Amino acid sequence: MNRQAKDISEMKCCFFDQNTTKQFIEFLMSKAKVIAPHRKGEKSFSFQETHNPEEVVLNYNRTIQPIKKFFMPPRETLLEFELNGKPKVKKPEIKIEERIFLGIHSYDMKAIRLLDFSFDRDKPEANYFLRRQKSVFIGIAYEPDEYHFAQDLGIDVYDTTGFSLFMVPAEKGFLIFEVDETGHRYLQEFGKGLPLDAELQYERPEPTKKLKMHYNRLPQIFSHVYDSPVWKKVAERCLGCGTCNLVCSTCYCFDVFDEVNLNIKEGTRERTWDSCMLNPFAQVAGGENFRPTLDSRTRHRLYRKFKYLTDYSGELHCIGCGRCSYFCPAKISLVEIINELIEDYNRQQQHAAVTVS
Amino acid sequence: MSARKKSQKPKVAFFDFTGCEGCQLNKLNLENDLLGILELIDLVEFREAMDDKAEEYDIAFIEGSITTPSCVERIYDIRRRTKILVALGQCAVSGGINAMKNNYPLAQVQEEVYGKDKYLFPSMPAMPVRAFVQVDYEVRGCPMSMPEFLHVLKSLVLGRKPEIKDYAVCVECKLKENECVLEKGMFCLGPITRAGCDAICPSNGQYCTGCRGLVSNMNKNGAIEMLKQHGFSVEEAIKRMAMFNTNELVKEANWGNR
Ligand code: SF4
Ligand code: SF4
Ligand code: SF4
Ligand code: SF4
Ligand code: SF4
Repeated sequence: MNRQAKDISEMKCCFFDQNTTKQFIEFLMSKAKVIAPHRKGEKSFSFQETHNPEEVVLNYNRTIQPIKKFFMPPRETLLEFELNGKPKVKKPEIKIEERIFLGIHSYDMKAIRLLDFSFDRDKPEANYFLRRQKSVFIGIAYEPDEYHFAQDLGIDVYDTTGFSLFMVPAEKGFLIFEVDETGHRYLQEFGKGLPLDAELQYERPEPTKKLKMHYNRLPQIFSHVYDSPVWKKVAERCLGCGTCNLVCSTCYCFDVFDEVNLNIKEGTRERTWDSCMLNPFAQVAGGENFRPTLDSRTRHRLYRKFKYLTDYSGELHCIGCGRCSYFCPAKISLVEIINELIEDYNRQQQHAAVTVS
Repeated sequence: MSARKKSQKPKVAFFDFTGCEGCQLNKLNLENDLLGILELIDLVEFREAMDDKAEEYDIAFIEGSITTPSCVERIYDIRRRTKILVALGQCAVSGGINAMKNNYPLAQVQEEVYGKDKYLFPSMPAMPVRAFVQVDYEVRGCPMSMPEFLHVLKSLVLGRKPEIKDYAVCVECKLKENECVLEKGMFCLGPITRAGCDAICPSNGQYCTGCRGLVSNMNKNGAIEMLKQHGFSVEEAIKRMAMFNTNELVKEANWGNR
């Protein structure tokens, strides 16, 4: 499923200065609804519908919620029902609309591909796929910060898979690379970019080296660290607040509940994002909780990313966006946990070698 | 009109103990919902108590904490008469802000509050209702959360078990994609406080003071560590946590039944 697009050095490219970039956003807005990173509060960012190109922030580190919120909203009504007489059930209509997602980092794009897999696995998640169609993605290169480790997981900053166009910040503007047919059409129609033939000069950031082992080997590590003391160590600091799941780009669990109106004649079936770090998540009828402790929950969370789903898809289900660590109130770092697990694994291997020899 | 029809509705009573009265239904902005509520229930008592008017209730809502021996007698009496008992608001649920006085010797509190009249009224540490009688459901918050109250009421009228949230305010905060106030260098008890208020304070740029009480099996040391990381001393951290949660934090007052 993971057909890598060709390298940007082989793509047609043009240059937009700041002003042309704004005009281009206006042009996109005339084509479809444009979703792009905006400021949220004092220091945070959020993907929002663009109403004014001036408000788009293209040099952002990460948004609070990932793009999945547009395909699977944090809360949605699944059914409307009536309780009186014969029960009546109605499904709210889902509006299918064309949307252009602008300024997307390569790892967030990868997350969508992974969600496509997760939601298609048992029974295709109809609502997700309905909203997901007719989406066009325009990527952008980013400067990895302290929390990004996508490159360590094999997702290049310049990975254009899934995008139609790809933007690279350059002096006083952007280099715009044509990735696919749609992107080509957009540029033709817009017709204002400065064509570039000369050898392109742009800086590729140094690959991050945050993980102590190649990502290919991570699933193997996870076959050996189920009983590692690392889980308890993390649990000492973890508050079980669920933030790490709720901001995660690839988490897809939800909770379904019914809400009845005050007239108790009609109501709705709702669903919200859920988190496996929370008290009620592993609670079964009767009140018993089969993952009562925070160490078992953290372990489950990581195994979902690096082992359980990987066994099916052949891919890691973490994309190194760093949201879980950046937004964790206890400052628990996923990279640190993984590195400690790697160390633990290495110790085990050494120990085994010594015992054998 | 049909008395019979009326009697099919659950008999509901409200009782008031020691609180700020902020939770009281009649003080809340309920105009639109009040009529709807009265359609659902047969309101038999409001605030008055113990005069043998309505012998028995289906649901009794209790506001306020238990702070005197006569409160204890009254709550026993109400428990005897009601099928379901619901604690309404944080004073009733955990002792609430009243329980802050529990940190000081009782004699000192009596002296300060009542002066020379201190032996006129017997007083005791402010305790939650469930320290004395069985509480079936809770509506948390200071003041109590109105949507949660309506949810509990509707569920009980329908004969269903209300869903009570036992996870952190952060969940609701993140579902709304609020900027985390910790990002702005503020303090926040959201990660250890029970959700159900739709993260109303962080949604308005304020920190959470923990008015809905703590999540069950809270990681207390982790919470102190977190607050330390955000620049608070241990004493300060505990003081802040105790504002609404004295009884939950003080071991001696470990009345918890969960
Ligand atoms: S965000 Fe941090 S504190 Fe909260 S559950 Fe996740 S790891 Fe634990
Ligand atoms: S686990 Fe953390 S770093 Fe990985 S995808 Fe989820 S939020 Fe991003
Ligand atoms: S099980 Fe946990 S880690 Fe996996 S998708 Fe659900 S919430 Fe996310
Ligand atoms: S503002 Fe408070 S409640 Fe909201 S996410 Fe941050 S710590 Fe949690
Ligand atoms: S955010 Fe915290 S302080 Fe504010 S209402 Fe909710 S629980 Fe209470």
